[in-house]
Amino acid sequence: MDRRTLIKNLALAVGGAVLLPSCLHPDGTTYIKLKHINIDADQEKLITDMCETLIPKTNTPGAKDLHLPAFVLKMIDDCYGKKDQQAFLAGLRKFTEMVKTKHNSSFSDLSVKDREAVLIDIENSAKPKDGAKAPARKPRPQKHLQADPLMAFYWAIKQQTIFAYTTSQYFMTKLVFYDMVPGRYNVHYPVSKLKLA
Amino acid sequence: MANLNIDSVKARTFDAIVIGSGISGGWAAKELTGHGLKTLVLERGRDVKHIKDYPTTNKFPWEFEHHGQLPAAVTEANPIASRCYAFGEDSAHFFVKDNEHPYIQDKPFDWIRGYQVGGKSLLWARQTQRWSDFDFEGPARDGFAVDWPIRYKDIAPWYSYVEKFAGIAGNKDGIPELPDGEFLPGYPLNDVEVYFSEHLKKNYKNRHVISARCAHLSKPNQIHIDQGRTQCQNRDLCQRGCPFGGYFSSNASTMPWAEKSGNMTLRPFSVVESIIYDDKLGKATGVRIVDTKTKETIEYYAKIIFVNAAAINTNLVLLNSTSSRFPNGFGNDSGVLGKYIAFHNYSAHIGAEYDGMKEWTVDGRSPTGGYIPRFRNVYKQETNFLRGYACGFGGYRYQQHKYDGVGSSLKEGLVKGELSPWYVGSHMMGETIPKESNHVSLDTKLKDEWGVPLLRMNIDYDDNDEKMKKDYIEQLTEMFTSAGFKNIQPSTNHQAPGLDIHEMGGARMGKDPKTSILNEWNQVHACKNVFVTDGACMTSTSCQNPSLTYMAITARAADYAVSELKKGNI
Repeated sequence: MDRRTLIKNLALAVGGAVLLPSCLHPDGTTYIKLKHINIDADQEKLITDMCETLIPKTNTPGAKDLHLPAFVLKMIDDCYGKKDQQAFLAGLRKFTEMVKTKHNSSFSDLSVKDREAVLIDIENSAKPKDGAKAPARKPRPQKHLQADPLMAFYWAIKQQTIFAYTTSQYFMTKLVFYDMVPGRYNVHYPVSKLKLA
Repeated sequence: MANLNIDSVKARTFDAIVIGSGISGGWAAKELTGHGLKTLVLERGRDVKHIKDYPTTNKFPWEFEHHGQLPAAVTEANPIASRCYAFGEDSAHFFVKDNEHPYIQDKPFDWIRGYQVGGKSLLWARQTQRWSDFDFEGPARDGFAVDWPIRYKDIAPWYSYVEKFAGIAGNKDGIPELPDGEFLPGYPLNDVEVYFSEHLKKNYKNRHVISARCAHLSKPNQIHIDQGRTQCQNRDLCQRGCPFGGYFSSNASTMPWAEKSGNMTLRPFSVVESIIYDDKLGKATGVRIVDTKTKETIEYYAKIIFVNAAAINTNLVLLNSTSSRFPNGFGNDSGVLGKYIAFHNYSAHIGAEYDGMKEWTVDGRSPTGGYIPRFRNVYKQETNFLRGYACGFGGYRYQQHKYDGVGSSLKEGLVKGELSPWYVGSHMMGETIPKESNHVSLDTKLKDEWGVPLLRMNIDYDDNDEKMKKDYIEQLTEMFTSAGFKNIQPSTNHQAPGLDIHEMGGARMGKDPKTSILNEWNQVHACKNVFVTDGACMTSTSCQNPSLTYMAITARAADYAVSELKKGNI
């Protein structure tokens, strides 16, 4: 093998982090140019706050610290088909109205506790269709969204936020160990010796 | 000018031409150059150099634009390629996109292709089980297709030959229907796989779970180190191309070896339009290619030609090589060219849970899994369908995370999690019966951008496949139930032929020129300096993954071609 090339590649892989084409609004929220869907500044703020409600800053970084909202928006813009995106946008409007009617406030102006309650209410009202099955081995977002707009919107944001978080460099290097080159396969391995995060 | 022409012809003349650089073409290139033949290797796609041209190989998930997910624009534009399990953000550059080389589906056919040096050898599942005489004698015993002109004893030394070079991990299992080979240490079965293996041994006759033999360097020998390859690092990212050369591909192994001989000329971006036949000489004199970039037509000449364009495209090349001698396609005196195409039936799965061995798991990753060799109709006909199926089998556990809720409890759930119980799963790999009606042909009007007629696909399942599928579900359900597996979930799908990526036949080998295209040395019956040694040559499909057999057949045919050339017979 060409060791030098290999070492160089490995060094590149370790050193390089992906740069999302994102920048900051004056108010500090992440801004990302979308190609397929239109999201206005308020809606972007709403989604950002939803991401932060799902993955808040605690003693470890939250969604905003890790620039997850920009990635979530990028995924929704790139990785769903037109029909799903329309359901998503309809759900986004429905969600906004629902919060307004119930709380006479925008989602972003709610307290953290109220924001959490809004999301948990939706989550409890309907689980995603595969909720009954064994949990997925990897938290990959579903390829297609549910037909109900509110559910399409909520689960798209939740699944993409979880995906963004669990595949982020921070998560995969600081919170769990992504073992890219195990170099081993041991069978009959005691569970007690396994390093679960 | 005359001299210039002579020089030009000379520059375009070689001892041998190999069409294709995939798993069999790479072997043809290595063997022919190894015998000192100046060899031109034609590849319709781009060059892919080992390591250098594996752009994603060392990327972490977060370094991909969509962290590994494919954009909807890609999946919507490529419904066929998207159905392949290996098509992802990390490997899409090695797949032919649906619109890049269209074909006509008279019946649905998912044609999965890799147009580049190395072809699909970069993407294959690396499973390498030998055939036995239970397979080679199948058509004669069960009365379908035609008798294979070779038997296990003819191919056995060549299996050994290619296994030693490619590097095959496996155990000596002593099972007559799946002969042992020249193995590097096998990857072990895990606890639940061993448990199921022992269960079958105790309760069934001739049913085994073995560690599937695979083309991975579990412990490299000097010959592998000489190729610049090193031990498989259990990354399980093979579809990206392996920087360690841990698995066998043309790119990591045969192609650089052929290049090192100094006898190979590699010409990428070269679509072969046809093989040139000379009526007076009574043999092929070369091939006509179209440069995919300049669209220029160029002729190359050689004493022998190896056709390794991948099964369906080999049929295309032969069907399109017409002359006054062969008005219906190259070597097609029998009329069977393009017919009797078969594949593997992968349309059934089964999954279950095992509530035991909770204190044991695995550490690291295995590049292979369990394999249940064919147990149906092996020693005698015993069911209402012909032939049988092999089964993949694997047991696994994983860390279960909680995705419920929001906030800090969700964060915690994503990091922490308990180990799941053991899950087990199996998939069916069924033999299909070659039939005249399963065929490919050339469209009479439509052509691709290189002026080659488009292919029409007419390949389908039959009643035998349906019965076999039903039997797989019944047998596996019974075996899983008696093993104490719970929550057994069989599933079938209607995946189109082709998605198994084991399409075979169309230019089958046989004893009789009236019913086959190739003889026992893979020579075209009617034109002895043309050899076909990829999947197109297969008389029947058996149920083992076919690549190892292509490699062995190719090395054997190349050796014969060289000796015939030396004797002046071709």
